[in-house]
Order: sequence, then structure tokens, then C-alpha cells
Amino acid sequence: MPGEPDAEILRRFVQGDQEAFEQLFRQFQGQVFTWSVRVVRDRSGADDVLVEAFWRAYRGRAQFDATRSFGAWLRRITTNVALDHLRSSARRRGWRSADDQLPAPPGSDPDTRDAIAVAFARLPPDLRAVAALALIEEEPYADIADALDIPVGTVKSRVFRATRMLREELARLGLRSC
Amino acid sequence: MLNDDELLRSLRAAVPRVDPSGPSRDLWPRVVELTHQRPRWSIADWSAAAVIVISLLLFPKWFWFIAYHL
Repeated sequence: MPGEPDAEILRRFVQGDQEAFEQLFRQFQGQVFTWSVRVVRDRSGADDVLVEAFWRAYRGRAQFDATRSFGAWLRRITTNVALDHLRSSARRRGWRSADDQLPAPPGSDPDTRDAIAVAFARLPPDLRAVAALALIEEEPYADIADALDIPVGTVKSRVFRATRMLREELARLGLRSC
Repeated sequence: MLNDDELLRSLRAAVPRVDPSGPSRDLWPRVVELTHQRPRWSIADWSAAAVIVISLLLFPKWFWFIAYHL
């Protein structure tokens, strides 16, 4: 993770200086992309999230508190954009959700790995993001809480709910032995 | 019945960690393009504008009251 930018760069960024903004973009784009791809789990989607996150940061630069971490502020923005991306993807998929949610045909033997991937993809965006970060990427709960601007206890409860929903979805998909 | 560890192992096998090797191309031009676009009006913005216009047409005396709050 890059260190904190120079105070002068931040001051110029807040004033709307494009060169300072580009400098921050170059410094933080790797970190933002990594976080985005971990949440949305799709490289082209992560590109879109990165662009939107920097745009929102620029648009909301007046709200940046220079006494706090720029990296943490940008990560919060990135997480919000990534969640919006997951929600809009879920809405776009909505038209076929009726078919998706049909129970597996009796006697079918779905491959466990595919079933788990499907069950994971069907988690609500808020839970899926937390499950991806906590269970798959093994990010510390405190970092996830900071990125989502929620208490650590809420992260834990979302992980718990995601795990429970995964079990229910797997059972519904025909993996009753789970 | 899968226990928590087995479920976690299966989940990690089904949904592997992603390779965060940076964006495939330079995205700065796209960011610049967005920052130079005129601000887009959301549905909420259009709704608020419509409410104000209709209010002024129906109750012209509200002009100074609305102007004060804008």
C-alpha cells in the first residue's frame, strides 16, 4: 500500500489542481484496483469501479479531511462504488432470477464447486462483498469495517449471515448433505 | 453436514482469490473524460426542479420563500 501523499499535493488536489489529482491517481491506482477486484471479482468491472471511484473522489474533494488518511478515505469511496456496481449487476441479472432461483431438478447431481460458486454469486451484494473480503481474501475484519465505515461487530454479523445464506442456498440447489 | 472449515475450504476452491495485478491499461484518460463532463442530473434533481416550478406556478407568492431556501 502506498504511503500517505505529500500535504502539498493534497492541498492542491482539494483546490482542484489536475496535476495533483493525476499524481494521486498514479500513486493510488494499484491499491484501488486491488481492492475493487477483490470486491467485484471481475477485472473489467474493477476497471469501471476504479474510474468511478477516482471521479467521485475528485467531485467530493472538498469533503476530504486533510487531518485523516487519504488512502483510507479513497478506500471507503472505492468500496461504496464497488457495492453500487454489485447492486446494479444484480438488478441487470434480475430478469433471469426467476429461472435461477428454481430448485435443482430432483435427482440432479450438481457439481459441488459450481453449486458453491452459484450460491456465492446469489448472495446479496452487501453480504457478498464482506464474504469475499473476509472469507476468500482473508482481509482483517478491522480493515473491512474501516472500508465500509461500519463497526467490526457488523462485519462479523454479515460474515455469519453470509455463511448461513450460503448453506441455505446450497441446500436449495440440491446439496442437502451440506 | 459440512462444518465451517469444510464450507470455507469449498468456498475458497470454488471462488479462488483474485490476481490483483493492476488494470490492463491506463485508465487516467477515462477519469479525465468523466471529470470534464457536465454534471448529470439525477431523478431526484429533476423531481426537485419540477416541484419548485409547479409550486411557483400555483403559488407565485412563494417565490421569495423558495429563493431564500435555495
